[in-house]
Amino acid sequence: MAQTADTARGQGVDELIAGIKSAGDKERTEAWQSAGEVGAPAVKPLAKVMTDNDLEVARAAKRALWKIVRYTGRPGANKERRAVETELVELLGDDQPVAVRREVLWMLSEIGARNSIKPIARLLRNEGLREDARMALERIPTKRAVQALKAGFEKAPEDFKINMAQSLRNRGEEVDGYPCQKLVPTKKTDVKPL
Amino acid sequence: MKKSNQLNRREFLAAAGAAAVSVPYLIPSGVLAGPGRVGANEKITMAHIGVGGMGGYHLNDMVERRDKGQVNIAAVCDIDKNRLVNALKTAGSGVEPYHDYRYILQRKDIDAVVIATPDHWHAVQMVHAAECGKHVYVEKPACCTIEEGKAMVAAAQKNKVSVQVGSQGRSQPEAYLAHRYLVNGNIGHINRVDCFHYPSPEDDNPVPDSEPPAELDWDMWLGPLRWRPYNQRYCHGTFRWLLESGGGQIRDRGAHVMSCAMWWMGADGTGPVTVEATGTAPKKGLWDSAVLMDVTYTFKNPDWVLTWRQMPNDKLPKAEERTGNEPGGKISRPGYGAIYRGDKGEFIHWGGDGGTWAEKKAREWELPAGGKDVYKSPGHKEDWFKGIKTGAKTIMNIEAAAGVANLCVLGNLSYILGRKLEWDQANQTIVGDEQAQRMMSRPQRHPYHL
Repeated sequence: MAQTADTARGQGVDELIAGIKSAGDKERTEAWQSAGEVGAPAVKPLAKVMTDNDLEVARAAKRALWKIVRYTGRPGANKERRAVETELVELLGDDQPVAVRREVLWMLSEIGARNSIKPIARLLRNEGLREDARMALERIPTKRAVQALKAGFEKAPEDFKINMAQSLRNRGEEVDGYPCQKLVPTKKTDVKPL
Repeated sequence: MKKSNQLNRREFLAAAGAAAVSVPYLIPSGVLAGPGRVGANEKITMAHIGVGGMGGYHLNDMVERRDKGQVNIAAVCDIDKNRLVNALKTAGSGVEPYHDYRYILQRKDIDAVVIATPDHWHAVQMVHAAECGKHVYVEKPACCTIEEGKAMVAAAQKNKVSVQVGSQGRSQPEAYLAHRYLVNGNIGHINRVDCFHYPSPEDDNPVPDSEPPAELDWDMWLGPLRWRPYNQRYCHGTFRWLLESGGGQIRDRGAHVMSCAMWWMGADGTGPVTVEATGTAPKKGLWDSAVLMDVTYTFKNPDWVLTWRQMPNDKLPKAEERTGNEPGGKISRPGYGAIYRGDKGEFIHWGGDGGTWAEKKAREWELPAGGKDVYKSPGHKEDWFKGIKTGAKTIMNIEAAAGVANLCVLGNLSYILGRKLEWDQANQTIVGDEQAQRMMSRPQRHPYHL
């Protein structure tokens, strides 16, 4: 029985990827819109297609992945959500393209829970991804996420501590020093008055 | 920064002496009128943040008012150098150009700002302006997330500034006639309002990401949004067709048409109990807002239903024939409006923004003795000026505008998530859906945050 279900899921993934790679706009759109129910098994295959040279194919793969995230985030679907979360977390590794990892961080900001915290927090040390990682952690409504932000703040290089302080304050934490910079102007114009 | 950070008369005189050697700053009206308020006969000193598109319209409008002696214009600001240069040409001499709006917020001689930046900047800039004691006219939609709307309301209330949101349909002559007609029971008890609109566009010319043009500060254009590479199809104007920034027709025009509905139904301050949306996605390109869309908002106590439908052009209601002599003139934008359905009849209006056109029977109806009259806006900007000078609530105050924006945001959220949402108006939260609750806010990039 389990084997039959696995086979069906495998066929679902194959069909989905074939649809996503289709040359027709209509076929691609129908494919990504049907991705939700295919779920976790499609996550990694779709991530591979997200960097396809054909812009529309890559875009359809990204939208399919988001569809899965939105579908499995529905109330009462915890098991499906956790399965998708597990797959997504594995896409945060250094072997993945930055564009994929950035997208995955935002996906986890919507459905990530306990298992996402450490892998996201690890990216606070990655200069190209740390801002997205910070925002993803800020959005995950658990104490562990706040703890990860606190730990990230302690270890952050000086130029990033202010960003971390912003997240901690948004989560209701008091931060010594690193005052809010939101009202401080920084960019002058070279346009002269008439 | 609090209201008390504004200069008092003595501090101003000292500061003005120091400033006189550098920039020819104007006397802040509030100094002469008392804290936070501009005297009845004093000119309000304005600055314009975002001067392309609608921002260009507002600047031209304000220049006309300045030339009539009604206001001062002290500064213009844009992160697109070409737009900034053009704005200076429009505004003329004596107006200071800025790239970073926060320099404007630091100037104590500026009473009020007009914010007409892309939608994803509205909340952040309005909150910052309020925190610096500035009165604000901000373009619609008020906000892109539920939490942004809450922050805007809180900032306006805490800092006691007058905020007008640019859903100017409420201030149109025929909006007054429609409102008066409906509240006097001419179509009976209204239990349904069906808003209609033509579809959101599909991107017919998608292009790859590229380097931003030299005149544009792409980082600051994105502001609070997560970083992404520049794309020619995602910038001035076209931001409307992306869910993260503009939100499609429902947030662009929904903020007009549903604003009229909430005003005329006496529903400001209320909200739906459920929101359910479906839609069709674009078949290609970067734009991702729904092309066709069908959203149902169910209200309780009193019970009524509001719908938002983006439909094919051939399904839209036919526009009324007109001579052009009506208060609102000919209908120039027949592709959107709403049908009000009561137990004694129906009423239709077209437009809902700068053009709002009421059906003939409402225009011709005369208020009988003992009939109920309604507030007649002197004009959307005039209503704002009144708010600045007297503290009166504006016709599209931030509380009402955030409520309307919530409708737009919730409609899109239901569409994105593919499920019905329950809304708790009293607590301003989505019920029983953790993912949707997380999406009520969106973390913002440093330092462009609320």
